[in-house]
Amino acid sequence: MQTRFFDNPGMKILLIEDEVKLAQYLCKGLTEAGHVVDVAHDGVDGLHLALQGDYAALVLDVMLPGIDGLSLLAALRKTRQTPVLMLTARVGVDDRVRGLQTGADDYLVKPFAFSELVARIEAIVRRGQAGVPAGQPAALLRLADLELDLLRRKATRAGQALALTAQEFLLLTLFLRRPGEVISRTEIASQVWDMNFDSETNVVEVAVRRLRSKMDVPFPAPLLHTIRGMGYVLEERAP
Amino acid sequence: MREGALAPVSPGSLRSRLSWWLAVQSFAGLGAVCLVGYLVTAAGFGARQDDALRQKEGILRHLLGSEEGHAASMPQGRHALDDFLAGHENFRLQVIGPDGQQVYPPAPDARPLAAWRELRFEVARAAAAPSQSAATLQVQLRMDVQPDDLLLGRLAATLVLAALAGTVVVSLGGFTLVHLGLAPVRQMAAQTRQLSATTLHQRLDGAGQPAELQPLVGQFNALLGRLEKAYAQMEGFNADVAHELCTPLATLLASNELALRKHGRYRGPQGGGEVAEVLSSNLEELHRLTGIVSDMLFLSQADRGARARRAPVASLAAVAAQVGDYHEAALQDAGFTLQVVGDAAGDFDVPLLHRALSNLIGNATRYAAPGSTVRVCITHLLGGGVQLVVENTGPDVDPQVLERLFGRFFRGDTARSHGQKNHGLGLAITDAIARMHGGRTVASSDGGVTRIGLQLSLAPVTGSP
Repeated sequence: MQTRFFDNPGMKILLIEDEVKLAQYLCKGLTEAGHVVDVAHDGVDGLHLALQGDYAALVLDVMLPGIDGLSLLAALRKTRQTPVLMLTARVGVDDRVRGLQTGADDYLVKPFAFSELVARIEAIVRRGQAGVPAGQPAALLRLADLELDLLRRKATRAGQALALTAQEFLLLTLFLRRPGEVISRTEIASQVWDMNFDSETNVVEVAVRRLRSKMDVPFPAPLLHTIRGMGYVLEERAP
Repeated sequence: MREGALAPVSPGSLRSRLSWWLAVQSFAGLGAVCLVGYLVTAAGFGARQDDALRQKEGILRHLLGSEEGHAASMPQGRHALDDFLAGHENFRLQVIGPDGQQVYPPAPDARPLAAWRELRFEVARAAAAPSQSAATLQVQLRMDVQPDDLLLGRLAATLVLAALAGTVVVSLGGFTLVHLGLAPVRQMAAQTRQLSATTLHQRLDGAGQPAELQPLVGQFNALLGRLEKAYAQMEGFNADVAHELCTPLATLLASNELALRKHGRYRGPQGGGEVAEVLSSNLEELHRLTGIVSDMLFLSQADRGARARRAPVASLAAVAAQVGDYHEAALQDAGFTLQVVGDAAGDFDVPLLHRALSNLIGNATRYAAPGSTVRVCITHLLGGGVQLVVENTGPDVDPQVLERLFGRFFRGDTARSHGQKNHGLGLAITDAIARMHGGRTVASSDGGVTRIGLQLSLAPVTGSP
């Protein structure tokens, strides 16, 4: 089974990261997902590549030798609107604000999960294409025998209505919008409840467990799976 | 207590000690002056009395040696002596004849003297006629010194009183002067009292302090400087360690996740395998490490004076309800009901409040009695400000535990059983968020109700932290 990372694989991505080892792994991961990845280890090379090449997205470290990430971004924005995801090692609010003001589309604080990086790249690329008509958002989401009617806010599986709470409905919507994609707990908390911090609590686990008890447990084939150390994925698996 | 530990034997106050010494010294000085004055006066009196006696001696020698005085026992001789004594009431005269007979006065003294000064001498009487033999008269002349003694006594009493009064006056003056003189010391003590662990940047103001205190002020300020530097270094060290861990952690996370993905069989039990198992376990631990590192960085930001980024919030109850939604499943799972009581508006940092409230509700969920209601109470404080308290019923929390609740890496004993997720920084972060809002955390537990929460100031705190 082919691991699916992106809705639109085959993107050309520029990775500017001075930590060689981290850059290697990120490059490897993105390449394995079927993308073309160029890597630069300092700001000067990075800016040059970013201005010359035609990239779908940039992954940019803030702390770089040569030209630092923020200056690079400022220089890039003069001519290019390539979506940029900033990697910052600091949690300082200043970095965040400055980064977003300079024109970064999103930021990710180190250390981050690879799946988180993938999700963020995808999100900024999608946002960049928002101008392009992408078709009506589906009012009906479906996976195997699971159906979600967003307009009538109804969920059914194998024809049986599921009694979901409002939160559970939102959670299931998130999974159904990104089937086959591993979604981390942090991202779930952020997307469903707008809680943007790493929580010590196990509330996401409990929420997923309760959702599962309604949409998975009573049925023969489970759809919502736990990936230890990474998150959850909704997908149909061969029995 | 602390002062007691430094000085187990209290030496009393500097002021009373100095005042006592001054009193004793002034009494000794005044006493010596008075004593000398007294002695000189007394000696002067004695000399005057001696002069008077010698003057009378001359007259008496003349009288007793002359013709008229030949026979003191004779009426005319006695008369001469009476004349001599008339007008000199303070003298008594006794004359003993050669035969040992008292020749004067004829009768015993009616008014003997209480205190006297005495002069004895002999008068040789030459024979006036051949029929008469030469004879020697023993003369005893006494002078009444009682008035002088009385005067001296009064002088002594006056001097003693004057010395005492002088001592009292000097002591009072000294007490006042010492009090005034020690004012800089008191002012410095007051300045020192205002210093605390949280105001390390403050220094003692040496301006207007006397030269004697200047070295002390300088030394104290230098010590404070070193303390602040050490504190900053320690904080910086914490932040640096956490910061340095970020990149290796990111590399580890990425590599583990990629390895697990490449294994391609992380999905489903059939794909498990030992390597996938280890990688999954590593990832879990790495996420835990990541959580600790980012929490430590958050705390160090707060310690360095990061402030909440305030934006208008129309309803804190709505914010609390949103966090309640986040915890809904966990609360329902444990059979709790969440209730938001009260409301307030103001400028707050909502993402930070989400985090603080989430930690508080999570904490309440761990300790609340099964089936009970967890309340988020929002109240206005009297002095301005808002209080957000999460209240749950359950066993009372030990006051000692309550004190340490907001400390770093603190976990109540029972919390250890709640698995790896909780590393004991949640409430420390809540505390930091309160501080970032210019507020503080509060905790109480009695009568089976535990209230833990935070107080927030409504206006951003200006000036340095």
